[in-house]
Amino acid sequence: MKLRVDGLTVRFRIPGATVHAVTDASFELSEGRCLALVGESGCGKSVMAHALLGLLPANATVTGHAWLDPTATRTDSSGEALDLITAPEKTLARQVRGRRIGLIPQSPAAHLTPVRTARAHLAETLRELGRTETPDALAARAGLRPEDLDRYPHQLSGGMAQRVANALALAGDPPLIIADEPTTGLDRPLVDATMTELRRLRDEGRAVLLITHDLRAAEQVADEVAVMYAGRIVELAEAESFFTRPRHPYARGLLDALPTRAFKPVPGRPPELTRLPAGCAFQPRCPLATPLCDEQPKLNGVACHHV
Amino acid sequence: MSEPTSTLTVPDTRIQQAPGLEAEEITVSFGRHRVLDRVSIALRPGETLGLAGPSGCGKSTLARVLALLLRPSRGTVRMDGHPISRWRHRAPQRTRVALIFQQPRMAVDPRFTLEDVFTEPLRATRRPLDRAYELAEDLGLTRELFTRRPHEVSDGQLQRACVARALALEPAYLICDEMTTMLDASTQAHLVSRIEAYRERTGAAVLAISHDTELLDRWTDGNVHSWAAHRGI
Amino acid sequence: MAAVEATAGRRPGRRPVLAVATLAVLVLAALVVPLVAQLDQQLVDLRSAGLPPSLAHPFGTDEVGRDVLLRSIYGLRVSMLVGLVAAVVSVVIGGLVGLVAGTLGGLVDRLLMRVVDGFNSLPHLLFGVFIVAMFAPSPTAVVVAVAVTHWTTAARIVRSEVLSLRGRPFVDAAISGGSTRARVIRRHFLPNLAPHLLLATVLMIPHAIWHETALSFLGLGLPPHMASLGNMINDGQRSLLAGDWWSSLFPGLLILLPTLALSALAQHVRDRANPRWRSELVL
Repeated sequence: MKLRVDGLTVRFRIPGATVHAVTDASFELSEGRCLALVGESGCGKSVMAHALLGLLPANATVTGHAWLDPTATRTDSSGEALDLITAPEKTLARQVRGRRIGLIPQSPAAHLTPVRTARAHLAETLRELGRTETPDALAARAGLRPEDLDRYPHQLSGGMAQRVANALALAGDPPLIIADEPTTGLDRPLVDATMTELRRLRDEGRAVLLITHDLRAAEQVADEVAVMYAGRIVELAEAESFFTRPRHPYARGLLDALPTRAFKPVPGRPPELTRLPAGCAFQPRCPLATPLCDEQPKLNGVACHHV
Repeated sequence: MSEPTSTLTVPDTRIQQAPGLEAEEITVSFGRHRVLDRVSIALRPGETLGLAGPSGCGKSTLARVLALLLRPSRGTVRMDGHPISRWRHRAPQRTRVALIFQQPRMAVDPRFTLEDVFTEPLRATRRPLDRAYELAEDLGLTRELFTRRPHEVSDGQLQRACVARALALEPAYLICDEMTTMLDASTQAHLVSRIEAYRERTGAAVLAISHDTELLDRWTDGNVHSWAAHRGI
Repeated sequence: MAAVEATAGRRPGRRPVLAVATLAVLVLAALVVPLVAQLDQQLVDLRSAGLPPSLAHPFGTDEVGRDVLLRSIYGLRVSMLVGLVAAVVSVVIGGLVGLVAGTLGGLVDRLLMRVVDGFNSLPHLLFGVFIVAMFAPSPTAVVVAVAVTHWTTAARIVRSEVLSLRGRPFVDAAISGGSTRARVIRRHFLPNLAPHLLLATVLMIPHAIWHETALSFLGLGLPPHMASLGNMINDGQRSLLAGDWWSSLFPGLLILLPTLALSALAQHVRDRANPRWRSELVL
């Protein structure tokens, strides 16, 4: 299985303006690999996840492609390549969500119905997806004990709620998992545990798309890193080289901001997505800026004229 | 009665030094549930103290007690040597201590604009507003954000407004309760640097509460106390 | 964190054009017609008694020859005015009680809530009848009767909202920032309560109108010479058996129309009150 995103662009119409949430994003993700999509809050990362799952609201315009190619190495429910962007809602609901793509959302407890037990959630999902596995078996795969399943969402600790969310995402045995900011608000130990989980999923042969602003977490699981800034991917590199030798000035700035490194913020602020310049959006904050930057740099591993 | 949730002590020698913000043997119970059990902590002027511990062990409750927003069932709080006898809106010293919350969205009135948020303390105490605008700019808020409402800005921008609000009255004691948990690394680094600059300029004391030990180590230069946690639900 | 979330799939309702238009027509008619019409709604003309709807009398005439349309408009004015005043009085009284109970808490709160429970246990109409019976039939009596039985709704709404607001960190932040309790109420509680109060009032008006018409129908509300929709339905029931349906139906419709319009408007007010609806992009 392979996910090929090609020139994905998402715009939102709001009164009096257009929000350029994602512009010309392209990347590939194969099974057995984890791609971390990182960037500041509000840079468009979550929009990407919603676009892939067809969960964007009515005032969004999407262009480009996101091909879901099956390959022979993993059994897949359907045999043809599917463009997630143009696929009709019926296809997305019946074939994609839960079956070909599993979503691990932010704040798992908030995504669970408060009046039903965890077991009820799992059972319902399994039933909807037409799976024969029992909730207990599914829960065991996610590291939950049968007694945990009888709890209601408010009785679950942060870690358990996360595991329930993982179980729900895995219920349909999807080859691609999208984890949307799964670590926000979690303690470090829990973050580490979540990353261990994602590593396990990747090692099982799934493809994992991790969307996060937490670089320390991404470092634990990513094989490849894509950095987003102002809606564009500005660097796309193997994890090892990214974390040791980031090329794009913004990427370098982001890593320097970590308390485990220089703890220095990136000066300035990100641009409003309603008023993006024609050239490189990072120019005002960039130490390497020259008039060359008035022209939009192309992404060639890194989108910068000076690197 | 449930078992005590947490205890923390600090070496006694410090109590003898210059008075700051001290909490002694604080116990807080909500009904039968005891959230804090005989907790003591002292914050000295000019220092940055880190308090590390997992979420849910009572650190936020202690923060509220130190900010004079919650009256403890037992124990004493002393500010600059004087014991606190009145709490919340009745405490005249409440403006000397400011609290920054973990979730900026909950800490801001949804009907306020950002400008309202960071100018409110100066309005409430009838002081000129220039200081608020300087702070807002220093913390990275641009003019066009001033008229926006909380749901129209990101968490990072909202937290910047909250920090500006906290510093508006030049508090002598600043408590940052998981201030950066929702934020990305760059915003986090920026806010911490602004707070440290404030501390160096005014000699204020900062209590940084977080579960992120790497952050605390870096922020406080190793001056971190850990919260010996007992189990709590 | 922060996701870019646009809520445009559900615009805050198309503006409630129909509801507002209906209300506008009714209010305009109620205000303007009595001033402009040369006709006297009290004019009795026995030769024209009991006429079905026609061009000359679009709503027909009642059993003593009075034009039903004209009387209905007068009746509407009275009913809406009484309804509005009663609703506002209810909400003001209830709101104050709720604010005090929510803000002070403790013993005061418990006491006030017992009082609320007490008033709630009274059967509305029966108690209304009791109050009106103590005074001579008049608009004031009706307003008092409705207010006394309905203030508890607003009290509950306001109290619950105040309790929820008090626990929010932004109230703590305001106190930390030097606000007094009075300022917190003024700057934080009241603005956040205003939409609830407005909604409560808008929803209360049709209810108050019903009560007034019910009381008048029983002959206990407004004095019979004052055309109110309730009085008219009361009068109309006598001729109903004779087959004169128009003198009961049209007043009834005129009770129904503002009720429906106000409910639609209330829905819209509730949606608009949520600050998120005002802009559609959440960053």
